[in-house]
Amino acid sequence: MLTNEEITHATNVLEREPTKTELAMLDVLWSEHCSYKSSKRWFHLFNTEGDNVHLGIGEGAGLVDIGDGYLVGVAMESHNHPSQIDPYNGAATGVGGIIRDVISQGCKAVGLMNCLRFGHPSKPRNAYLLEQVVRGISEYGNSVGIPTVGGELEFDDSYDENCLVNVVCIGVIKPEYVVRSSARTPGHLLVMFGSTTGRDGIAGVSFASESFSDEEEENRSAVQIGDPLAKKVVIDALTQLIREKLIDGLQDFGGGGMTSAAGELASQGGTGVIVEVDKVPLRESDMKSYEIVTSESQERMLAVVAPEALERVIEILEENDTPYAVFGEVTDDKHYTVMENGKVKAKLPIDLLVDGFPEPERPVGTLPTRSTGMGWFKEPEDLKETTLQLLNSLNICDKSWVYNQYDQHVQAHTVIDIGENAGVLEFPMGKKLAFTSDCNSSWCLLDPSQGTSNSAAESLRNLISMGAKPIFIADCLNFGNPEHPDSYAQFVDSVRGLGQFSHDFEIPIIGGNVSLYNESEVDGDTHRINPTPQIMIAGMFRDGATPIKRNLITPWSNLFLIGETHPEMNGTEFQRLMIGEVKGNPPRYRPEMEKKAMNAILEAHSRGLIRSCNNVGRGGLAIALMKMVLNSPYGFKLDLEGAPGTARGFAEKLFSESAARYVAEVPESNQPAFYEIIEKHGVKICEIGLSVSKKVADFGRFSITLEEAQEAYRSGLRKYME
Amino acid sequence: MTIAVIRFPGTNNENDVLRGLSLIPGGDPYLVTNRQGSEALKDADGIVIPGGFSYGDYLRAGAVASVGTIMDGIREIADDGKPVLGICNGFQILAEAGLLPGALLPNRSANFICKWVYLKVSENTVGFTDGMEAAVIRLPIAHAEGNYYCSEEDLVRLQDEERIPFRYCNEDGEVGEEVNPNGALDNIAGIVNEKGNILGMMPHPERASRIVLGSVDGLDILENFVRVTKEA
Repeated sequence: MLTNEEITHATNVLEREPTKTELAMLDVLWSEHCSYKSSKRWFHLFNTEGDNVHLGIGEGAGLVDIGDGYLVGVAMESHNHPSQIDPYNGAATGVGGIIRDVISQGCKAVGLMNCLRFGHPSKPRNAYLLEQVVRGISEYGNSVGIPTVGGELEFDDSYDENCLVNVVCIGVIKPEYVVRSSARTPGHLLVMFGSTTGRDGIAGVSFASESFSDEEEENRSAVQIGDPLAKKVVIDALTQLIREKLIDGLQDFGGGGMTSAAGELASQGGTGVIVEVDKVPLRESDMKSYEIVTSESQERMLAVVAPEALERVIEILEENDTPYAVFGEVTDDKHYTVMENGKVKAKLPIDLLVDGFPEPERPVGTLPTRSTGMGWFKEPEDLKETTLQLLNSLNICDKSWVYNQYDQHVQAHTVIDIGENAGVLEFPMGKKLAFTSDCNSSWCLLDPSQGTSNSAAESLRNLISMGAKPIFIADCLNFGNPEHPDSYAQFVDSVRGLGQFSHDFEIPIIGGNVSLYNESEVDGDTHRINPTPQIMIAGMFRDGATPIKRNLITPWSNLFLIGETHPEMNGTEFQRLMIGEVKGNPPRYRPEMEKKAMNAILEAHSRGLIRSCNNVGRGGLAIALMKMVLNSPYGFKLDLEGAPGTARGFAEKLFSESAARYVAEVPESNQPAFYEIIEKHGVKICEIGLSVSKKVADFGRFSITLEEAQEAYRSGLRKYME
Repeated sequence: MTIAVIRFPGTNNENDVLRGLSLIPGGDPYLVTNRQGSEALKDADGIVIPGGFSYGDYLRAGAVASVGTIMDGIREIADDGKPVLGICNGFQILAEAGLLPGALLPNRSANFICKWVYLKVSENTVGFTDGMEAAVIRLPIAHAEGNYYCSEEDLVRLQDEERIPFRYCNEDGEVGEEVNPNGALDNIAGIVNEKGNILGMMPHPERASRIVLGSVDGLDILENFVRVTKEA
């Protein structure tokens, strides 16, 4: 809802009272979701530059040059609030929206990802949300024919009242076909197509920019309904329009509906627009102008078409049997004019509507100080049992119950399925790109800045372990209410952490989204989500390189631990398992060590020295090693006594989540060259054992049969869902 | 010799199939949309109905497409003894149209399922499986309704007449309930009609047609299809 200050500001600029339609338009475009009014002021902290960046933050999708005449496009967004209210439709339209962002740039959509967060699934409401969200994503994404190649799933009580649904769409395009989100030429026509306009999702962005109250169910009409068949038809029609270069500008009807779509086009193009709402094909006949301009009905696109191209455009739209209307025109008056039955319903200056809001004060609170103390720590008596419990724990266990519901192979270009460190897609000219996404929200709760940098480092290691070099970052920043200083402090600190990482590793951030107000009032208490800066990084393989997986490939190969292990047990999955919560200072972000390890592993991969490789993340070394044998015909036999670093106890070595570590399988003949590279980069390394032909994980002091391990790993989530 | 690849609104594997067939010398595929009608099939020597969600799979998977305007043309070609291949949604459409016996019910898990599976190829070729007799092959599946069901009588005929070229199995080729991904009767992944010129299968050969995708076992099936088309 508009604040009194905002209404006064608009009245002063207009020198009159805004009309009802104008108020509705300002309400959606000045919502947090559309305006980024609390967040944008911090984006200067990001590294957004890179030689490969073709189009950075600001339009539907970021575009990055991958060479040989192709660009990869990416967009990332949240659909949290709708998914909490109506999980099936909320999640489905989240996917629909992110696809529109990418195709509105002219891209062919080639991959999807989703990152989900829920409260513990032992609560029926949470299990229901998970089941319905996954079904929504699955039925929508599968139908539209775009493979899902990656994502993340995390559980934490903080998501009980606010689940998170973050989605990514990846596209590909040749630069000469890129369509910009701008209306540059007065006299050009506004053509909408794809679907009719109804009352679903009216002012959905405003609803997404507030905290939930106890009456959340009332908001159901603010959730949009998806139609994947209509989307497939839109994609087919759009492919033709783009191939024939018939479109001068393109926007999708997303958050903010027609107000946002046409307003952004005019704002980017330095022009104005006039729209006639009577011409819009409606689902319900009695809709008011303020409803039509703010409806978020799905599957609609807005094209800017030169008059001479109109005939052919209409021909293509009719061939595809999709509803369409020529409902407006680009003007030179720099105003957004809404007409109904020949009467002016709204006339707002574009620069008032887009970005003309009075910037709100957002006091930054102070973050609580945490200790490095480990008074809670006790060496477990049964390390085998602890390892099995970790394998079974929700944030580590097998998630195939979820991702087996996603079509991962449609379009026949999926090189590596979900379940490895990253999904890999084949692009034109035989190029291969890996996509991964991470956020350790426990770390981010304990230290938003370090937790964010270190979550990004975890994504980076996923790519490096496979042999892919990071080329860009997209993000989706999910936080609580920015009007609360303690919540806003988390946001600001986390943005610093992400900015720091993007500069440290010189990886450009090319797209993203901010979702605030993820908190609820429950019986007078504030329930706020853990800070959740979801980070997605893409990496590219050298031409001809095969992605390296984590399953052990051969028996009697040596296994090496790269990097140092420190007694960093606070904020770990081990701590959560032992004391039921996370506290203290989380593992440190170590950019220098991280870079050395990264360069060493990448060079070893470039020379084909490593057979299989994993990085150390959640659950520490023990879990990293177990994941190398869970789907392998081989086991291992280890001696971890000599692991470098300051960790002394055995449990510390096994479960510490220190950064900058990898495990690599290197056969004997490759070892001289491998050692040479490791030494050159100044990385600590230790041979920790051998792969063996027996299906057993032998840690020296205890051993686990693979059958026990697989059962623990497989049943972690399934026991709640089946 | 040309192979028509059919697209209904909502079909989404047509490009994958076109690409797979074009890897094969003499494959020569072309796209035909439902709205072009049977006329567009007059030069076709064979037909592939690819996977996807024709008409959104609203009502029932394949049900709306099975009465589509192009179905008369497909029926004619099938009656002429020319080869017809239905993959995934294509199989569902052929079953709905009565060109193959039985029906594809919702998966036993009630969820969509996407994964790599092993298939045991029958010992007796059905033409589409020449050179693959008794092999264990690896293809991906991706469907919500792949649980093959038919009457007891039809099942006995399918078995007796050796019209079940593909059954779900484990890595070692053992057919058993624990490797049945969707609840299909007798682990059936694919069947042929009585004349042996129509093949319907749930797994996706086109998604296992290049080394980079992790398997080329599907290419053998597509190659056989092209060969059978030439011979028909």
